[in-house]
Amino acid sequence: MYKPALKIAGLTSGYGDIRVLRGVDLELKPGTIVALIGANGAGKTTLLRTISGLVKADSGFSELYGESIHGLAPHRVVQAGFVQSPEGKQLFADMTILENLMVGAHSKRAYERRNETLEEVYELFPILAERRYQRASTLSGGQQQMVAVGRALMALPKVLALDEPSLGLAPIMVDRLFESIAKIRERNLSILIIEQNVFQVLEMADYGYVLENGQISLSGTGAELLGNSHLRATYLGL
Amino acid sequence: MDPFILSFAVVNGLLQGGIYGGIALGLSLIFGVLRVVNFAHGSFLMLSLYLSFWCWNLLGIDPYLSAIVTVPAMFALGYFVQSVIISPLIRRERALVVEPLSALLLTCGVFLVLDNVALMAFGPDVRSVQLSYYLPSLMLGPIPVNIPRLIAALAAILVAVGVSFWLRHSHAGRAIRATAQNRDAAAMSGIDVPKVYAVTFGLGCAILGLFGALISPFIPATPTIGLAFGIKSFIVVVLGGMGSIPGSIIGGLVIGVFEAVASQFVTATSAAIFSLGLFILVLLVRPAGIMGKA
Ligand SMILES: Nc1ncnc2c1ncn2[C@@H]1O[C@H](COP(=O)(O)OP(=O)(O)OP(=O)(O)O)[C@@H](O)[C@H]1O
Ligand SMILES: [Mg+2]
Repeated sequence: MYKPALKIAGLTSGYGDIRVLRGVDLELKPGTIVALIGANGAGKTTLLRTISGLVKADSGFSELYGESIHGLAPHRVVQAGFVQSPEGKQLFADMTILENLMVGAHSKRAYERRNETLEEVYELFPILAERRYQRASTLSGGQQQMVAVGRALMALPKVLALDEPSLGLAPIMVDRLFESIAKIRERNLSILIIEQNVFQVLEMADYGYVLENGQISLSGTGAELLGNSHLRATYLGL
Repeated sequence: MDPFILSFAVVNGLLQGGIYGGIALGLSLIFGVLRVVNFAHGSFLMLSLYLSFWCWNLLGIDPYLSAIVTVPAMFALGYFVQSVIISPLIRRERALVVEPLSALLLTCGVFLVLDNVALMAFGPDVRSVQLSYYLPSLMLGPIPVNIPRLIAALAAILVAVGVSFWLRHSHAGRAIRATAQNRDAAAMSGIDVPKVYAVTFGLGCAILGLFGALISPFIPATPTIGLAFGIKSFIVVVLGGMGSIPGSIIGGLVIGVFEAVASQFVTATSAAIFSLGLFILVLLVRPAGIMGKA
């Protein structure tokens, strides 16, 4: 039977009395890259934090390959296989690159395979191998982003979520990062990516969702969304 | 000033300071990871002293051996206090750090409960342990060195080195450091943050359990002894650098030596006041403490 890699239905959450998400439905097919588009403050980060268990959901559910991850503590969500590289990187600034990556392999399943995964991460981002004993705070923005993605990969995700990985990067670095993300897809995992570079991300993504007013207002393949007049006007300024 | 008296004061100050530092270690560790100032710190030491005393008094266990009881008992108590009393507060907070005032008030409540329960249960009597053997003073040239104090001071350094090494090189230690640096990122990396908090709190209290046993041969147990040690620990930790393990020992040594030397010139009470003056002076120059990061 077909099981989506990630399935979210009717997800509602927010902060205090403010509802940021008001019934979000979203699905990731195994092995695909799915883009999540939305204006600043639309609730994209809140959606990831809710799935991760850092923000409590009021209603709805989330499933990973048919297994509920709803209401789990954050570390259990990671163990189940949903791992995010958070907005703003959130590295452990006083630790070396190697230590940052090793923290990513904290849960038992990931820890047992840590050396193999580490090799794979170094292969993906060779600069991290070179700088492995350097403190994370001494890296450039692009390199820090690689550490954040690498750290998430170390947890052996089934679904990897990337929250604005290109934020603050020079255009050339953005291109390289997107190349790496395309390579990650070959690792047989599914990627949910939040991006301000709407054009670039929709060209790469298999499918995309647009989050507006706390709900999914639009969805379709990358090509479909790029051809949509509402999306073009609102997010591409065309 | 007589050089003999001065060096005698310095040696005793170093011993006393090492002990201050060892007692303060847990406070610094807990603050470094949870950002909670544990006002009940001294009360946990008071409980360890009683535990060590009762082990000796009722069961005839040597005070040093009583660490086998006090260390796990204090770990369990610390784990319990964190996961049952303090944790709900942290869970309510949305930001990366706990509201310092609410946590302080809460641990202040723990302090009041522990000290008053001790007063009710044990009464105001002073209870001292007697070692069943005689430990002669070690002679450092002409200066006599009190062995139990030397043991406690050396233990402080050993524990500080051990804890630092463990934090730096073990899997669990790395998880604790990660949680201290960014608890959300730690959670998103698969670390059970509430458990790390409880273990850290337990560890901080377990160190007090050890020092309760180690100082029981020369510090008698009374229900109110905790507060003085708690405040001293706070001064030591702020002076050395909040959250720094070596800072705790260095802060302790500075305060210990300063007090011992100053009390050669003025009364011990005035010396304690002078050490507060030193404390303020150091913080004016280095607001983050001696080993703290500005
Ligand atoms: N910790 C918080 N407490 C209260 N409100 C919050 C908190 N975090 C976010 N919000 C609010 O929730 C709404 C959604 O924020 P969120 O960060 O999820 O948006 P976003 O789509 O990720 O935006 P951006 O593109 O700027 O990253 C915003 O209105 C924001 O002000
Ligand atoms: Mg965001």
